[in-house]
Amino acid sequence: MNKNVDTARAKRFYTVGIILLSVVLAAFLISLFWTPYDPYATDAAAKLLPPSSAHPFGTDNFGRDVLSRVMSAAKFTVFISVAGVAIALILGTLTGLPAGYFGGFTDRSIMLVNNSIMCFPGILLALVAVAVFGASMYNVVWALGLVFAPTFARVYRAGTIEIKEYDYITHARVMKIHPVRIMLLHILPNLVPQLLPATVIGLANMTLFESGMSYLGLGVQPPDASFGKMLAESQAYIRVAPWLVIFPSMMLVFYILGLYFISEGMRVSLTKGGGS
Amino acid sequence: MTGKQTALYFVRKAVELLATLLLVSLLTFLAFSVIPGDTARTMLGANATTEQVEALRVQLGLDRPLPIRYLSWLGGAFTGNLGNSTQFRTSVGGLIVSRLPVTLGMSIIAFILIILISYPLAVLSSRRPGKLGDQICSVLGHILFAIPPFVLSLLLIYLFGSIFKNFSVGNYAAPNVDFGMYLQSLLLPAFAIALPKIAMTFKFLRSSIIEQKASDYVATAKSHGLSDLKILVRHILPNSNVSSITVISLVLSDILGGSLIVEQVFNLPGLGRLLLSAISQRDFPLLSGIVFYLALVTVLLYFAADIFASLSDPRIRIR
Amino acid sequence: MARHIHVLKVHHLTLSFPTRKNPNPKPVLDDVDFGIRDGEILGLIGNSGSGKTMTSLAIAGLLPEGAAITGGSIKFRGQDLLTMKPRDRRKMLGSDIGMIFQEPSTALDPLMKIGKNLDEVLVAHGVTDPKERREKILSTMSTVGFADPEAIYERYPHQLSGGQRQRVLIAGAALLAPKLLICDEPTSSLDTVTTVQILDLLKSLCRKLQMTILFISHDLSAVRNFCDRVMVMRDGKIVDKDTTSDILTNPKNAYTAELLTNAKLDTRMLGIERAHVDYSSSPVLTARDIEAGYSDRVFGKGSKNNVLKGVDLEIYPHEILGLIGSSGCGKTTLIRSLLGLLPHTGTATVVGRRIGAVFQDPVSCLNPSHTVKWHLNEALRVAERKLTKPERMSRISAALSEAGLDDSFLGRKPHQLSGGQRQRVAIAMCLITNPGLIIADEPFSSLDASSSAEILKLLTDINRERGTSFLLVTHNIHIIRQIAPRVVVMDNGKICESGLTSEVLSSPKAPATVKLLEAETKLHGA
Repeated sequence: MNKNVDTARAKRFYTVGIILLSVVLAAFLISLFWTPYDPYATDAAAKLLPPSSAHPFGTDNFGRDVLSRVMSAAKFTVFISVAGVAIALILGTLTGLPAGYFGGFTDRSIMLVNNSIMCFPGILLALVAVAVFGASMYNVVWALGLVFAPTFARVYRAGTIEIKEYDYITHARVMKIHPVRIMLLHILPNLVPQLLPATVIGLANMTLFESGMSYLGLGVQPPDASFGKMLAESQAYIRVAPWLVIFPSMMLVFYILGLYFISEGMRVSLTKGGGS
Repeated sequence: MTGKQTALYFVRKAVELLATLLLVSLLTFLAFSVIPGDTARTMLGANATTEQVEALRVQLGLDRPLPIRYLSWLGGAFTGNLGNSTQFRTSVGGLIVSRLPVTLGMSIIAFILIILISYPLAVLSSRRPGKLGDQICSVLGHILFAIPPFVLSLLLIYLFGSIFKNFSVGNYAAPNVDFGMYLQSLLLPAFAIALPKIAMTFKFLRSSIIEQKASDYVATAKSHGLSDLKILVRHILPNSNVSSITVISLVLSDILGGSLIVEQVFNLPGLGRLLLSAISQRDFPLLSGIVFYLALVTVLLYFAADIFASLSDPRIRIR
Repeated sequence: MARHIHVLKVHHLTLSFPTRKNPNPKPVLDDVDFGIRDGEILGLIGNSGSGKTMTSLAIAGLLPEGAAITGGSIKFRGQDLLTMKPRDRRKMLGSDIGMIFQEPSTALDPLMKIGKNLDEVLVAHGVTDPKERREKILSTMSTVGFADPEAIYERYPHQLSGGQRQRVLIAGAALLAPKLLICDEPTSSLDTVTTVQILDLLKSLCRKLQMTILFISHDLSAVRNFCDRVMVMRDGKIVDKDTTSDILTNPKNAYTAELLTNAKLDTRMLGIERAHVDYSSSPVLTARDIEAGYSDRVFGKGSKNNVLKGVDLEIYPHEILGLIGSSGCGKTTLIRSLLGLLPHTGTATVVGRRIGAVFQDPVSCLNPSHTVKWHLNEALRVAERKLTKPERMSRISAALSEAGLDDSFLGRKPHQLSGGQRQRVAIAMCLITNPGLIIADEPFSSLDASSSAEILKLLTDINRERGTSFLLVTHNIHIIRQIAPRVVVMDNGKICESGLTSEVLSSPKAPATVKLLEAETKLHGA
């Protein structure tokens, strides 16, 4: 009875999420091969033009085509979030699985380090890392990967603690299967239902952070375009050229919201519907 | 037996707090000590002379061994004496304190807004889950959640600018100069920080209330003849509070982090601006001070949340 | 008020869950019609989904959202409940109608002390004097069998055992001596000894407070000594109604008869033969002075609460050794220690081959992410590493067929298997490692009667043909009696009695054994 309601809900979340996300992903994929204009080319004659057929999203204060810049910014946003989450997932596996599986002293020491890292407000940690190692896209990726690792470690740990109580893990321990093998082959596949939504949410949160850092000028470096930096630059023109604010924020929100909706759909369908 | 367990729990928590504080301080210290290359050289930039670099090394105490430097730094950190900022040439502690009214005030207003808005909404929304009002709240929550606070700030600035012609950002007044102006300048940024967190808190509270409503002890309370209102106030809310404390402490630390960016959008002279200038001027004593004290506040917040949860829920104390 | 023969009269009650798409679904309760006589204990028996719980919720006015009563009436002492205001109906709960639920572990607010939990009942029903309330609660608590009610009053729910919590809940329901007490499976999560105590308590309360009880259960034979009359429910209909003795001895309805036979596992029809055990040979497992427990130490200090207090045990080749004991006696800790899963002191020596294990829960015994073949391969890897691929496959097929499954199961995942089939795969995983001893922890308790009988037959076949020894942990004394030549009884972390099954069960010496056997007889008959 309730299951049907849940699947219908999950389906709605997926549909809306995929539509929103595909707008950004399409921009990202096309930008790899083609953009309407060179995103870096300035044109003093075409400053702050409102949207038109020649420039569908208008132009900025240097006369650069906003559509082209938005498309190329999508590229950096997608890359940074995916690469950062990949790093966080690997670090989370290396720390969260053993912490949950072995418990006791191993758990306490790993979680102490984890919790200590979590005590630094995330954005602060990322900013400091970039401050110390220099502002560049790769440093942003590393910094965000590190900042998000404890969150993933918690997901791994909680899932492992739950699963290791099941009889099939007890049985594997009775058979004296090596702990590393138990963790990777027996436990990890069963964590997928928890990990998938967490990963998708991680992508969204990482984008929130990255755009904030770029807004402060400590993320993607000019002349490369990023949504955050574009918004920072256009803030002064918000009255005269609102399109400079509207289009980048729209793309940014589409990406994050699309990911949220998809993760919500996953949560509903993987944890409730597919529980049996 | 129980008294002993409770005492042991608090001892364990205190030890954990101490260990976390040490680790946090060590991490902060190391982050600025293991910078690739020479710290003093990095701080001064490439075209400084060797004499200048040497002088700065002595001034910063970098000529001493690492453990000694850590201990003296740690001592300074807990006595509020973290040396002088290389940029402003005044004490780090004083600089941070002078910026606190903005960041702290904004965070407190944001927190009040979050609690005042998300709690009633969650209670109302969970009355009839799945109905129209509930669905509107949920979808709106998702959307708000997905807008970065600085984008939300831009939107609010634009909106207020269109409505009130004489609205402008950045006319901040110190609280002891003009308190009304002080509050007024912080209200909008606080709102921008609070909105996504309201969505988050609302979502968590709502599902926690719905979960508690389906629990066995609520069925028992009904069978005892208690009215629905009484069950909500006496059983459901206290129980969902226990599970929400962790989330609320996370929200609080997020507010602190979020305010660093949002005050930049509103051009407010808070910790965020101090932090940015410290980063751009490579003012490491100031930077490590800001990082350490913000982390310290978070550690204490989490600790307070743990203690609060254990005081409300006797089961936590025996774990 | 006129005296009514029936305290409660349910009259042609029909209930369903209509939705917008399907306004006339199959009713969940279909023309349910019965009365409860003043002072009687009426049993309502049915499997899950039969509608027994919905019936009780309809009476209490606590139906879930979306439920619609489409016909009939419910009268409580002549008053029509369905026409009353919801607020007034809620007021009746606790004072006129009391309820007790299935799961005592979660039925009390964990944040409130026991006294506070109970105090609310009296506050809700207008007892304003705090002193009076406290007196009343303490006296009711001693009525339900607490020797020291003052101490329990100050405790939190998590500090009590399951049986104690159920007593607290009974006290809560009986505080205002309601006329009708609805009990929804109040004992199904309790062990046999506690179950008997709770049933005795309910019966005496029924006399003392002149209550009438509606007792809901899935286990027909368990209510034999408790209910005066029994109704059997199936698919929302009451299919059989009679006095308890008539239903048990001479069921007229085919479904009732089926429920009765299912409740009892008859191994005699299976052709089980016992293996010959040579007690002069050296044991496969010798355990000496096993102690284990959970310590709550901080910094190396603190006390250690021992669950096991020096257990000696030996298991001989070809033997099936039964292990029985009430819950909390240390059975589980013992087998986890023997399997090397818990830190313990003392020695457990296994001669020769390895130990296999079969666990209770067929749902979690297999890894949901992997196929049957993967499971067997994983087990085989441990036993023998150097095998060619064809050799592996033939070993896997052999083990699977010995466990009674064919090769078509190899590619299936656990969710495509029934409970019995899963348990067979778990057994095949043991067999493939060629163990000298298999420790089986309640392998039947979650299976239905026919599957348990088949698994039981499989285990005894393995015992006879391979000579594998078994340590069989079960609460089912009936099974122990028929297949285990020797039995040990545990109580409070120690082995309190051991010997040949026939002798121990016919003339028990330890008080714990006597208690277990008494409870068993009372619940399930001789």
